[in-house]
Amino acid sequence: MPDAAPSVGYGTFVMLLVVMAVSVWLGSQAQKAVEKGGFVKGYFLGNRGLGAWALALTATVQSGGTFMGFPSYVYAHGWIVALWIASYMVVPITGFAVLGKRFAQLSRRTGAITVPDLFDARFGDQRLGLVASLAIMFFMTFLMVAQFKAGAIVMKLAWPGTSDLALAEEVASGGIDQAYFVGLAVFSLTVVGYTLIGGFLASVWTDLFQSVLMAVGVVILFCAVVPLASQHGMDRPTLDAVAATSGDYAFGPGLSKAGQAAFLPLGAALSFFFMWPIGGIGSPAGMVRVMACKDNNTMRRSIVLLSFYNLLIYIPLIVICICGRALMPQVPHEDEIIPRLAIWSTRDWTGGSFVSGLILAAPFGAVMATVSTYLVVIASGVVRDIYQRFLRPRAGDSEIRRVSHVVMIIFGLIGVASNIRPVGFLQLLIVFSTTATASTFVTPAIMLAFWRRATAAGTMAAMLAGAGTILGLSVVGSIVNGAAFEPFKLAGLEPIVWGLTVSAVAGVLVSLVTSPPPAELVSRMFDVQKTTGRRPAAVER
Amino acid sequence: MSHPQEDPVVTAARREACLALGMWIVAMVYTLGYCYLHGYGRSVESLTFVLWFPDWVFWGIVVPWGICILLSIVFAFRIMGDESLGEEIDADPAESASGGEVRDA
Repeated sequence: MPDAAPSVGYGTFVMLLVVMAVSVWLGSQAQKAVEKGGFVKGYFLGNRGLGAWALALTATVQSGGTFMGFPSYVYAHGWIVALWIASYMVVPITGFAVLGKRFAQLSRRTGAITVPDLFDARFGDQRLGLVASLAIMFFMTFLMVAQFKAGAIVMKLAWPGTSDLALAEEVASGGIDQAYFVGLAVFSLTVVGYTLIGGFLASVWTDLFQSVLMAVGVVILFCAVVPLASQHGMDRPTLDAVAATSGDYAFGPGLSKAGQAAFLPLGAALSFFFMWPIGGIGSPAGMVRVMACKDNNTMRRSIVLLSFYNLLIYIPLIVICICGRALMPQVPHEDEIIPRLAIWSTRDWTGGSFVSGLILAAPFGAVMATVSTYLVVIASGVVRDIYQRFLRPRAGDSEIRRVSHVVMIIFGLIGVASNIRPVGFLQLLIVFSTTATASTFVTPAIMLAFWRRATAAGTMAAMLAGAGTILGLSVVGSIVNGAAFEPFKLAGLEPIVWGLTVSAVAGVLVSLVTSPPPAELVSRMFDVQKTTGRRPAAVER
Repeated sequence: MSHPQEDPVVTAARREACLALGMWIVAMVYTLGYCYLHGYGRSVESLTFVLWFPDWVFWGIVVPWGICILLSIVFAFRIMGDESLGEEIDADPAESASGGEVRDA
């Protein structure tokens, strides 16, 4: 059977170059679009012109890590991973219908460009905007830095002749060597370069490009692999995989390696129903994209598009990876299952190397898009929420443009510097930052959008309590479990459930015990605004 | 407490948010409940299949996923209103800070 390591050939390398070239081209196209309007709104918000495809496929899809880690989970633990990801069935609805309309409306009504802008304007308290901005920058820097390592390793592995096939937590054979550094340099230059020239739109368009690439890859792989594994019946992939492992592969809580905890006990399954749909609501990158959507109709179409996209990606990927376990029961590194299936199943095709290259290049595109997204959010935080607000309120477009570029280069350098000796616990770091961001922002965002009685102090309390709960559980977990960033799972639930709960309780209680917000401010945010047909209004202090 | 002056967009958005969260809760209760009752701790001998899927995955995850897509279409095109999101104001950050007052013309 096909367990032996196949050769990568030139396909992946060439496709990687294609992905990079397309991304740079998209960046230059984005630059042209940005120049049509004012710099800040164009560069950081795409002039509020996101269409349905761009919004659907980029606002709620998590980082490249979701796509990369997910297939290896299915291969390792079996059908229970379908329950782990099942809540994606409601992500299109929760992602757009809970906050979307109000965020889009309020950001227009207040002229807000960034999420902290919106908090500031809605509650009339600059401190709230500052805390939101610092929290976003702190957690997102962690997330962004972690992705640089992923990008560098994919480049290293794509080099023709390498014997490693996929991104793994541990750096592949040869460790941190010259190829890794070349990969890091090329990756960083490319992604910082195109983000710098195209800003928000560059990040959105490359994100859209990689999402489409991913979907094409999944469809090709499904057609190539699944018929092979199920030629003796549709039940064969599962039964063959069970025969190669154990009965646990077909049921909950899933197959676990000896000595490891059960993969998905009921408490964890419940937690992931919070993690994806509710956690997704609180992602600052997602919130800002909703603010950038063109109109209400765009949002409605996005819900439908994303519903079909998620179905097209996740259910087939599960079937593909179950078939993978049946066809290749003993792959040494689980992360390699998709690359191995891609190379093996297309080996007899004309141009098969390029088809498998396309499938392997998709995660690289995802990593680039993720870094680009975070870079824009972080830069907008520094430039808009700190520099422009507190240091140089009257800065002109050319000054803001210069500062934005300098900030992106600095954060790019931070990404490179942090990865010269890369951290080990990459995946845990990503989970920590994602959970902390969601716990910090979900309750405050809902209070901002819907609760008239919410106060600035209550919202601040909700933010700090959510972030504090996650930090606390991580510190306790690090001590109890003896491993950094390994969180403490109180009552068997993931930290996000506790973070959201504590944040909600703190937000409501503190709002109720503090003085109600000024009626005039609330009315401006919630009530019909009188206009006389003139363009509404500039803002004045 | 009702607010007679409340913008209809706000009222509609609140209603839609409640519906979306309601859908999330129903999906969670059904899927977790069904999968826990039929997908945990069974023997392989009792397993049946629908297409490629073990019975509990098909009825507990694939079918509700399909229903969610149908409901999403209904939600997007029948329930969700198409109100205007309002016109954009041009805000300079120094001015939009602290309240971002909208001056009525």
